[in-house]
This record gives sequence, structure tokens and C-alpha cells, in this order.
Amino acid sequence: MSSFTFSRRGFMGGVAGLAATGLVPHAVMAQDGPIKIGALTPLTGSGGPYGPVMVKAIKAVAAEVNKAGGVLGRQIEIISEDDQTNPEAGVRAARKLVDVDRVSAILGTWASSVTTAVAPICWESGTMLATVSGADAITALPHQGYIIRTQPTTILQGRKFGEFAVEQGVKKLFFFSPQTPFADSQFTNITKAVKAAGGETKSLIYDDKKPSYRSEVDEMLAYGPDVIVLGGYAADTAVLLKDIFRAGYEGKKIAFAYSVNQKLIDSVPPEVVEGIFTIAPSPAESSSAYKRLVSLIDVQNPDPYTTQVYDQANLVIMAIAKAGAADGKSIRDAIRSVSQAEGGTVVDNAVDGLKLIAEGKSVNYQGASGPCDFTAAGDISDSQFRYEQVKGGKLKLLKIA
Amino acid sequence: MTIVAQAILNGIMTGMLIAIPALGLTAIFAVLRYVNFAIGAYATVGAFAAWYVNTRFGLGVFPSALVAFVAGGAVGLIAEQTALARLRPSGALAVAIASIAVNLILENVIRFIFGNDLQGFDLPIARDWRFAGLRFGPQQLQTAAIAIAIMAAVFLFLRFARFGKAMRAVADNPDLGRLFGMDPARIAMITVVLGAGLAGVGGVLLGLDTAIDPMTGSRLLLSIFAAAVLGGLGSIPGAVLGAVMIGIGEELAVLVLPATYRSAVGFATILLILSLRPAGILGERNT
Repeated sequence: MSSFTFSRRGFMGGVAGLAATGLVPHAVMAQDGPIKIGALTPLTGSGGPYGPVMVKAIKAVAAEVNKAGGVLGRQIEIISEDDQTNPEAGVRAARKLVDVDRVSAILGTWASSVTTAVAPICWESGTMLATVSGADAITALPHQGYIIRTQPTTILQGRKFGEFAVEQGVKKLFFFSPQTPFADSQFTNITKAVKAAGGETKSLIYDDKKPSYRSEVDEMLAYGPDVIVLGGYAADTAVLLKDIFRAGYEGKKIAFAYSVNQKLIDSVPPEVVEGIFTIAPSPAESSSAYKRLVSLIDVQNPDPYTTQVYDQANLVIMAIAKAGAADGKSIRDAIRSVSQAEGGTVVDNAVDGLKLIAEGKSVNYQGASGPCDFTAAGDISDSQFRYEQVKGGKLKLLKIA
Repeated sequence: MTIVAQAILNGIMTGMLIAIPALGLTAIFAVLRYVNFAIGAYATVGAFAAWYVNTRFGLGVFPSALVAFVAGGAVGLIAEQTALARLRPSGALAVAIASIAVNLILENVIRFIFGNDLQGFDLPIARDWRFAGLRFGPQQLQTAAIAIAIMAAVFLFLRFARFGKAMRAVADNPDLGRLFGMDPARIAMITVVLGAGLAGVGGVLLGLDTAIDPMTGSRLLLSIFAAAVLGGLGSIPGAVLGAVMIGIGEELAVLVLPATYRSAVGFATILLILSLRPAGILGERNT
């Protein structure tokens, strides 16, 4: 073994070499390695039931594309981080993805509060952000085109909740929600629909970290509603539903399908959830992309978010191919030319899309969550909704409209 | 008027639930002189242990609570002996910070084993009873009765049992205790088992009425800590009094403040008490 000595020349050469690597622009350096894409999903917290399956879908798309030779001759590497359904943890994870991993796109942010917190990091660093959050305020941010969302806005969702309540013959509607970025807009739009039909509404914003909501439920009882809308997530909604049952409320209840899901239904006594209506943006279950996704990840009824991130991953990868570059700005500029190119060949997956793009043809992606066409602001322009009702401990489909 | 009475009733019920883990926190503080933030995770461990035996083997409320006590106490002892005890020479702050780490680790171990989903106990749910315009549930009454029984048992243990007396003696003056032939290390271990076990039972009592997930204990940590600080850290009756006052305060706050700010009651209480009367209502010494 040689002794540890170094000549002055060798030392200077080493320093110069180090300095040189530091000076090389990142864009040039990034050319050799894989293309890095971040998955930022709730693996824990209220969104915990969704995050892991979402990551699975994103990774499945990447694996499929890598197997077929990658994109721009490079492999795709998915780096998954947990946002803990918590804005503060989400920001830390996003900083790591952007500053350390230097991803060109982040997919999957779920809670609106997380997306709102993470968005500035993305547009300031020129990273594309594809989200499944619904709060209207998100696409109203000055994001310079760096945000697209596959989830319908809360304006649309609120209106659907209101219209459905009207169909149920609502006179007095009470809206329960924790503090979320969409609670306000949802209530406003519910109220609009209910008032138009001659009804009235009242809302209560609660703290979702409470072990019991008895006093809140008392306030609801004092109002005497015939329909309650529950705007919370699963954990707080389960507690609230029990307290509503105990209080002897007999009217109708409408909730988001992501909170009153099968897991919640199984975790509480059946009489507590019997008869609750749920509303959710509906995946395009009859589409070929949806069927591909089911066989790709081997999950029988993928939730809407999983179908959405599947589409996001396909779109971003095709946008990279279309742009001929893997940076965030190129993805931003190219994404609508693969999601909604007029006269483009309809494709339902990136592998087929990449072949067509390589042949110089234009493509129009039709996804598992829907047609995936985006407005200038980044919102999805069309979506169907799925209405279900809890009957005997199971969710029964009422209609898709 | 009925609204206020109902809020106070609700508050007393919530306070009973917070009181049990607050007792655990304050007992550990009295003997070991550090704030154990892992109490949140011990509560979650207890809740999940009880949930497991309740849903898998159909055990009732009382045996499940006993299992929770044993599970919480065992995990608390293991955490204490493997991680926290070694840090005692570095001072109370180091141990308190390490206990936050223990809290995070345990929470994620539970998540790893049981998953992230919400779990409910396999118990019948009943409509509330109404009496003079006030509303209360059968399950609440049972939970409150268990809580009172546990508190009474803890008081009796500390006052009359040989070991309880030794605990109080060591808490008062460890050196004097040693002179009288008490082994502080052994007393410390038993205190940890008792404190963590109580937290475990608190976790179950809470989950009986609601639902549990890996964050159950951490969510309550602020209220538990506020209760112990309000009553006077280290004071056993103080923890109960503090818990009931925090419970009532949080419920009454809903009548005047938007419900979102309910947790602020805990924070505001800690702030006020620490700046005006750091020893708490029933605290005996300045700590």
C-alpha cells in the first residue's frame, strides 16, 4: 500500500477538476443519467390509504416505458417521497425532490393544503407539478403554467353536492368541514345550488384533531337540518359520524367518497354509516386506459387518484418525448400537445404514444380518469361523477353522471 | 343555559379521557423529572393492543383495557431501558427530546404493523340518552366510570401501597429515599410501567368512543401536556383537575370561538400557566 502523499501538481489538478464539475450546468450533467420524476403522495396521514397505490401506478408506467427502451434514449427513474398529508412535511419532501434529486416533474400531490404549499417551490424552480387536489385556489396561483390537475375543481364538486341535495328534496342543509383550502368554495357552491331551489344552508368548520365532536353536533341539531354534508377526511369523519348517530339525527347525509370509503365503512358499526350518499369524480371505467391500468397494477377497482396519477405519468413522459427535452419548462410547453392535440391519434398509454411521436405523428391521450384535456389555467375541462350509497355495509352504485 | 350545561358535561367527559394519560405523564415526571412526550405513542400502543384483542378474540372492554395497560407499560419500559435511561445523565431536556424521537418511532412501528387505516372497536353503538335537555351516551358513562375507577386505584396505590409510598418518597427526595433503602432505579422502572400503562389505557378509553389510527396518541399529546402543566407537573390530583379543566375549556371555547380554534385552548393554557404560575395550580415546587 502506498503511503498517503500528494504532489502540489496533483493537488492543484484535483482542485481544478472539482471546480470544473461544479461549473458544468446541471442541464448538461443531467443528460447522461436517468430522467428523474418525483412522486409526492400521502403514504401516511389521512391520505395514507391512497398514496401507496398511486406510487405503484406511477412506477408501473415508468417500468413499462423503460422496458420499451425509455424516452429520449434514457431510462426513467421515479423517486417517491411521502408528504404525510401534511403541508410542512410536503414542503420538505418537495425541496428534497427539487434541490437534491433535481426531478423535472412532481406527480400526485393529494391534499389541497399540501399542493398549495408545494406549488411555489415547483414554479420557482421550473418543475412541472401534476396534482389530484381539488381546491379552486390552486390553479389561481401565479404558476406560469407549471400546474396541471386531473381532479375537477371544488366549484364543480360543490355544485354537484348542492344539486344532489336538491334532488334529495333538501330544505335545510348543514355543512360540516375541517379547515381545508376548499371548504369555503365548496360551501359557497352548495349554497348557490340549494338557494336556487328555495332551501337554506349553514356551515360549521371544526378542528379535525378532536377526539369527540359532541358540542359541534349539538350546534348542528339546534339548526335542525334535513341534509348534512360532510366535507372532512376519513379519520375525522368516522368520529363525527358516530357522534351524529348518537345524537339521534335521522336525516340524510352526503359525503366525499374519499372519506366515506370502504375502509371507513368497515371500521364503524353498520348503523352509523347506513344510507350515506357519497360523491366522487368518476374514473373512465369503460376506457381502454382504465382496463390497461387494472391489469398493469393488478388492483381491481383503482380509486380516482390512482387513475389520475397513471394519466399524469403517461402525459409527462409523452411530453418529454414530444419536447425532445426532459426539463420542467419543456414538459410545461409540450404537455397540451400530447393531451389534446386536435386530430392527433388517440392513445391510451405512453409506450404507444412514444412510438407515434418518434414517427413524427401527433397524439391525443385519453386516460383512465377521463379525456385529460386541460384549460389554460391547468384545470381539467370535463369530468363525470359517481354517486353511491351505503347499503348493508357496502357501497352501492346509484348512477354515474 | 342548556347549551352551556351540555358543553360542560361534554367537557367533563372529554377531561376524564385526557386525565388518564395525563396521570401517566405527571407520574413519570414526578419520579424521573423529565417530560415524556412518548406518552402519546404509548397511548396508541395501548389502543391498538386492545383493539387487536377486542376484534380478534372478542374480548370485552375491561379485559381489553387490561391488555392495553400491559402493552403500554411493556413498551414504555423497553423504550425507557433501551433509549431514554441512558440519556438521563445528560439532563432532562435530552431525555425529553429523545422521547419525541421514541414517539415518532413507535408511531411508525404501529403504522408498519397495522397499517394506516382507521380502526374501530367491535362494540355496539347506542343512541344517546336525554335527561333534562342534556344528552349523554351509555358508552360515555361506562368510559367515565372506568376512568374514575382507575384514578381511584392510582390514588389508593400511591397513598397506601408500600410501593406507592416509596414512589412518592423518591419523587420528593431521591437521596433521602436511598438512605431508607429504596432502590431509585427499581422505583423508576415501576413508575415508567405505571405511567406508560396508564397512557395505554387512556388510548383505549378514547378509541372506544371514536376510532383509532397510528396518530391517535400524538393528536392528543397537546391536550395531555396542557392538562399536566395546568394542574402542576408532578402533581397527581393536579393532572386530573387540569384534564377536566382543559376538557371543559375546549368545549366552552366552541360556544364563543369558531370550532377550528379549539386546539388553541391547549396552547393558550400552556402559555398562560408557564408565564403566570409555572408550578401549575396544584404544583408544589417551582420546576
